[in-house]
Amino acid sequence: MIELHNVTVRYQTDAPALSSVSITIPKGDFVFLTGSSGAGKSTLLKLVYGAVQPVYGHVVVDGQNVTRMSRRQIPFLRRNIGVVFQDFKLLQNRSVFDNVAITLEVLGWEHNDIKKKVFHTLKRLGIEHKLDVPPIRLSGGEQQRVALARALVNEPRILLADEPTGNLDENNKDQILQIFKEANLRGTTVLIASHDRRVIHSGHHRVVHLEKGVLQESGNVQSKA
Amino acid sequence: MSSQKHNIRPKASTMGGGSKLGYFLSRALQNLRSNRMVTILTVSTITIAILIISLFMLMYVNLEGTIEQWSRKVVVTVYFDKEPAPQDLMSLKGRITSLSGTESITTVSKEEALKRFRSRLKGQESLLEGVSPDILPSSIEITLKKEFRSTDAVNIYVARLKKLQGVGEVQYGEEWVRKFMLFFQFVRILGALIALFLVLSVVFIVSNTIRLTIFARKDELEILALVGATPFFIKAPFLIEGMLQGAVGSLLAVSLLSAGYFTILSNAGNFLTFNPADAGLVFLPASYIAALVSGGVLIGFIGSLASLKKFITI
Ligand SMILES: Nc1ncnc2c1ncn2[C@@H]1O[C@H](COP(=O)(O)OP(=O)(O)OP(=O)(O)O)[C@@H](O)[C@H]1O
Ligand SMILES: [Mg+2]
Repeated sequence: MIELHNVTVRYQTDAPALSSVSITIPKGDFVFLTGSSGAGKSTLLKLVYGAVQPVYGHVVVDGQNVTRMSRRQIPFLRRNIGVVFQDFKLLQNRSVFDNVAITLEVLGWEHNDIKKKVFHTLKRLGIEHKLDVPPIRLSGGEQQRVALARALVNEPRILLADEPTGNLDENNKDQILQIFKEANLRGTTVLIASHDRRVIHSGHHRVVHLEKGVLQESGNVQSKA
Repeated sequence: MSSQKHNIRPKASTMGGGSKLGYFLSRALQNLRSNRMVTILTVSTITIAILIISLFMLMYVNLEGTIEQWSRKVVVTVYFDKEPAPQDLMSLKGRITSLSGTESITTVSKEEALKRFRSRLKGQESLLEGVSPDILPSSIEITLKKEFRSTDAVNIYVARLKKLQGVGEVQYGEEWVRKFMLFFQFVRILGALIALFLVLSVVFIVSNTIRLTIFARKDELEILALVGATPFFIKAPFLIEGMLQGAVGSLLAVSLLSAGYFTILSNAGNFLTFNPADAGLVFLPASYIAALVSGGVLIGFIGSLASLKKFITI
């Protein structure tokens, strides 16, 4: 489903953000990506949805070579990938509903179907009562859920989440993780970037570790809680 | 992962082009409403710009009308070798009329010539008391078609005219015509240059104003791109917005112009006009109004397109 072959990413700076990273994530896998701040976690996710291009190597998603994709093809790649951004990227002057609906509007869904599907998804995440509220009047945890709802609403084949439990309490973290697991059970390939120990050790998952742009496979981590 | 588990309905294919346009339109209207201040700013900019251009057009149209009136005075006067018999005069008139370049002809009889002379001697008419009309010759005055009023054309025309039998002396204001046409040409070129400059600055100002509105919503552009919107899908509502603003702005400008014209200019026309033959200032013809409104729409469209280029990079 997601393959990186000897991928090197370099921003303007001298030190590469990722050096010669290779990884294969099969369909239906659930993977944690760890590493300290600046290790290159967000960069790796951006490679998958085509927001960053490598200087060497290539990225294959769902059988398609992202590195060789034209600008016209990138939108269609992204329609199969739900992303929860590190900074949420919610539209503060629009309602929760609008924020989630945007994913389906882009796909050309009809208004009534959008209404039903958005409501259903928000309900699954327990924030359906905030439908008409703008995100600016939501708590951090609630915003987190809206961002997750937007990523999940079209049931994407791949779900990428960048630090999705950043500012949540323990209870909320478990709930959010539960939603990821549910999506995974439905067949979605999940890749979560996080340095939250508790989250990483929350189950029987594959964990890969990034350190200064170099990838190390940590193998499966058993629940040690 | 089996495809049954992902029941993404292929809604995109069931949605016709019409409802897509409807979606873009509703988003454009929604955006205009929620960004009221910036919308008002953009529309006023377009209104002022189109108003300036239309005032300029109004001046040009009236100037051209006046010039057209003036150039009617490019009259070629034909005198005769000897007083022609009525039927000879008739046939000569026929031949002159069929000469290419002739717009209209008037016969000036001896009596008419004396009357004109008399009126020129206002207050001293007594000098002409008892003078018989025979002292002045009769003549034919020819008004030329518009395109025959330039120096070269008049010369060619006169050369052909002189070849007609019965035509004696021919008079025409050669020097005056030449200078006049040069001036007219100069006015035209100057007008075109000023118009070009105006249009360019309007596009520049409007695209900058629209850039403000797009800059205020760059988050939205980014998110749309990240959830897989095509560049067309992202741009369409903004382009529609630009066109709507252009339409409203230019319609406002045209309304203001006509209101102003009909209340003030048409009343004051008799004082302002420099052409006594003209009753007053004329308003812009319908084709100019149509051009102004479509120009406004086009400016809104180009303004949006130019500003969007800077933001849609992903
Ligand atoms: N747009 C950018 N321009 C220049 N350098 C960048 C850019 N984005 C990231 N970097 C650099 O690339 C390196 C990896 O950044 P990245 O955002 O992938 O780290 P991260 O692992 O996600 O960190 P964090 O846990 O703090 O989110 C960092 O050194 C960062 O400074
Ligand atoms: Mg990061």
